[in-house]
Amino acid sequence: MNSIKINISFFYFFFFLANFLIVPLSAFEVQNIPVQSEGRIKPLDTFARNMLLTFYGKREIKDQNIKATDWLLDLILDPERGRDLKVFNIRNPEVVSSLFLEWSTQHKYSFNEIINGIKNQVELIKTIDQKESQDRTPFEKQLLELSQSAIMFEELSYMKNIKLIPPALLDENAVWQSPFDFIISGVTPAYHQEEILNSLQKYLAARFQKNDLEMNDALFNYEKIVSDLSLSPVDVKKLKGETWMNDVNLFVKSLAFYILSFLLIGISWMAKPSFFRNISFMSLIIGFLIHGYGIVMRMYIMGRPPVSTLYESVIFVSFILLLLAVALEYFRKDGLGIFVGSIGGSILHFIGFSYAADGDTLGMLVAVLDSNFWLATHVTTITIGYGASLVAGFIGHLYLIQNILDSSNSKKLKSIFNNLFGMTLFALFFTLFGTILGGIWADQSWGRFWGWDPKENGALLIVLWQLLMIHSRLAGIAKPPLFALGMGLNNIIVALAWFGVNLLQVGLHSYGFDDGVAKNLYLFILLEILICCGLYYYPKFKFKFQSV
Amino acid sequence: MNINFLDKFLKIIMSPKVFSYTLIWLIVLVFFGTIAQKDIGLYASQMKYFSSFYFLFLGFIPLPGGRLVLLLMTINLFSSMFKRNLWQLKKIGIVIVHLGGLLLLVGGGLTAYFSSEGNMVIAEGEATNYVDDYHNMELAFVNNSLKDSIEYTVVDESLLYEGSRFQIFDEGPEIYVISNIKNVRIENRISPADSIYKGLLEKFVLLPKRPEAENTQNRPALIYKIEGTSNRSDGIYGLFLGQGLNDPFKIKDQIFHSEYRRERTYVPFDIQLIDFEKVMHPGTNVAKSFSSDVNLIENDIPRRTLIKMNEPLRHKGYTFFQASFIDDSEIETTVLATVKNYGRLFPYISSIIMSIGLLIHLLLMMPKMVKGKPK
Repeated sequence: MNSIKINISFFYFFFFLANFLIVPLSAFEVQNIPVQSEGRIKPLDTFARNMLLTFYGKREIKDQNIKATDWLLDLILDPERGRDLKVFNIRNPEVVSSLFLEWSTQHKYSFNEIINGIKNQVELIKTIDQKESQDRTPFEKQLLELSQSAIMFEELSYMKNIKLIPPALLDENAVWQSPFDFIISGVTPAYHQEEILNSLQKYLAARFQKNDLEMNDALFNYEKIVSDLSLSPVDVKKLKGETWMNDVNLFVKSLAFYILSFLLIGISWMAKPSFFRNISFMSLIIGFLIHGYGIVMRMYIMGRPPVSTLYESVIFVSFILLLLAVALEYFRKDGLGIFVGSIGGSILHFIGFSYAADGDTLGMLVAVLDSNFWLATHVTTITIGYGASLVAGFIGHLYLIQNILDSSNSKKLKSIFNNLFGMTLFALFFTLFGTILGGIWADQSWGRFWGWDPKENGALLIVLWQLLMIHSRLAGIAKPPLFALGMGLNNIIVALAWFGVNLLQVGLHSYGFDDGVAKNLYLFILLEILICCGLYYYPKFKFKFQSV
Repeated sequence: MNINFLDKFLKIIMSPKVFSYTLIWLIVLVFFGTIAQKDIGLYASQMKYFSSFYFLFLGFIPLPGGRLVLLLMTINLFSSMFKRNLWQLKKIGIVIVHLGGLLLLVGGGLTAYFSSEGNMVIAEGEATNYVDDYHNMELAFVNNSLKDSIEYTVVDESLLYEGSRFQIFDEGPEIYVISNIKNVRIENRISPADSIYKGLLEKFVLLPKRPEAENTQNRPALIYKIEGTSNRSDGIYGLFLGQGLNDPFKIKDQIFHSEYRRERTYVPFDIQLIDFEKVMHPGTNVAKSFSSDVNLIENDIPRRTLIKMNEPLRHKGYTFFQASFIDDSEIETTVLATVKNYGRLFPYISSIIMSIGLLIHLLLMMPKMVKGKPK
């Protein structure tokens, strides 16, 4: 019976895999056209999505069902209509009134609506621009951003900032040009430049006339030229892969499976335990595979190890958490692993999305971080440590809950505790070596092993806390429930080391931060303290109360 | 009696409780020391909490600092190695892991006491043989009147506190430090200056400004008085870091000027910058890589090497890292972080030892784990 189920899950796995492998074979679409932006070559689709994100706050116009690329191309072909489309998202009433606009609960305004208001305030905007960024009020910041967005929007409409044309001499570090710049400069185009311009023109003309055949013809040509460029960083397969990634949004799918898995394990506690637990586990595994595939795709597109930005670290830590949770479930078969994985994975996915919305998360790295060897070793090790620490933290919570629900079942308690202790050792191994490797990287690139930098201190805090827990358990100072409490609270230290150090904005490796995160972080810390201490002290108080 | 006491003392010092308490205190220190960096900056916080034996909480309560805690931890770990029941075959992996940890701590101690670091700043085409300290300053008096040489007389930071008086030559004039400013604001004088102010101070005033959290962003300055030159050079002078024109003064018919600069440490070779190159991610302001093409000149023999991000130059115990650059004029200037550290290899060795220990422990545990599985 069981083996059939496993076979079915394997079938699903291969079904998915087959789906993924077909991707690069799909036809070259207009979304795949290469653009240079923010330091790398990306498909037009990613570029358009990021632009829309800047103006509109989302990557597509959902309520009118307009995709980013279509929006951009329509703007280029029919600027008059495009300027009347409500794509500017203004949420600050002060900004709205300064533009003499009616406050709308939709928060959406068109270019034509805002432009006069901006023109009237040019002097004010100039003075804001001269201020240091930390001295600007929220109103000033948003007005400045809006005026910059308006300029960007205007430039998009005549393709001034869409860098579509590769340089005459192909080189990885060369700067591309936009069709506008290219025509203005009046330089005689090289063969490939002319071909690209021609195909682009042909495509736009055909699109304007809604002639599908001509459009396909032009794109076919476009693909051919772009693929033939030697010595250039354009890789059509990668462009297609990235466009596909944008479309399917793998991490939303994996989140859906994790939530489904959580619901199913919840049902399994009420009815048909083994049946629902099995489906729930399968759903978790499918989510996990999609999740992993998403990470692999990102690595393939960027050509670098899985973790190099905060967003990627969230996605990768949740991947490790899921990996350990799946392993735990495989050995225990009682839903504990599913519970840890589905909850932890879902929470981390939501945290990840809040970072993804901050802009193009497939961004480039500053020089010191741009070292594949160290990103692969130190960063990966330390994030595995974070993931394992979080799993240990979750098991700590579950131990405390089990202790309340059924403290007489000492066998189950003991087995949970053994998993907790093992996971803590595993976590310590990775956090300790990750931290030492980080020191060695720092020694290699800055000349000091340890500088008491916030990020280093954060990692050190996790190591010290886990050392303390393990030693006090081994020395008999901490009994299992206290150890579980300690590991539950370890989540706070992980969160502080991971996100909190960026609050401080000192030292060499903080990667940028916003105020909303600070609030959520404090909330999380408070909740964790309440929950953990509540779970730990509840049985003691209850016991006291009963004995009275 | 005496032996008994020693025995007791050893028992306390090697007890796991000492380890727990020092660990808890270290956690507290690291936490608050990190928070404090937001206000007082990384360097000041490091000095106060981590590189000190004690610090004053609320200004008057002495509490143990990072060095004391780590020292206690090292002693505790070292002495616990002598526990009799520890040296068993089945615990050998764990013993090795702890020896690795001990080595890490010892290396940290060596680094704390025997390492030095600074910046070597070289403009394109020029050669340098000294390193600027990150934090300490020095006052140099330069004698420009000698025929074929320039004579420098250098005064250390330790003598440059407010109210300090010293002589730079025997029977020479006396220098009196009026103020030592950590971060300076330079402003025009509104009214004409008193005749006692010389040079720069005739037209400008040097005012203290709130120091930045990061020491390297400060511009320090010094105001001092020269007395007893027996000519008209007596008076109050002002100097700041990076000052272009230096005010001359006379001592016994010889013309001097003074410089306020970062404390220099000389290295036994020269480094000449041939070319500095930075590559940006195309179309952005984000740097992709920096590199300095340099000549390492020793005994007049040049050796050409390239110093890149993550690929430093190591020579005679010194390591030069591509740290930064200055790009405000036509000439590019590279900034190489320079470190001399005798404890450098300890983390490498100790992490290898710890890995070996864990591996052995894992192998020893393997039979037990395999046995436990088939249940």
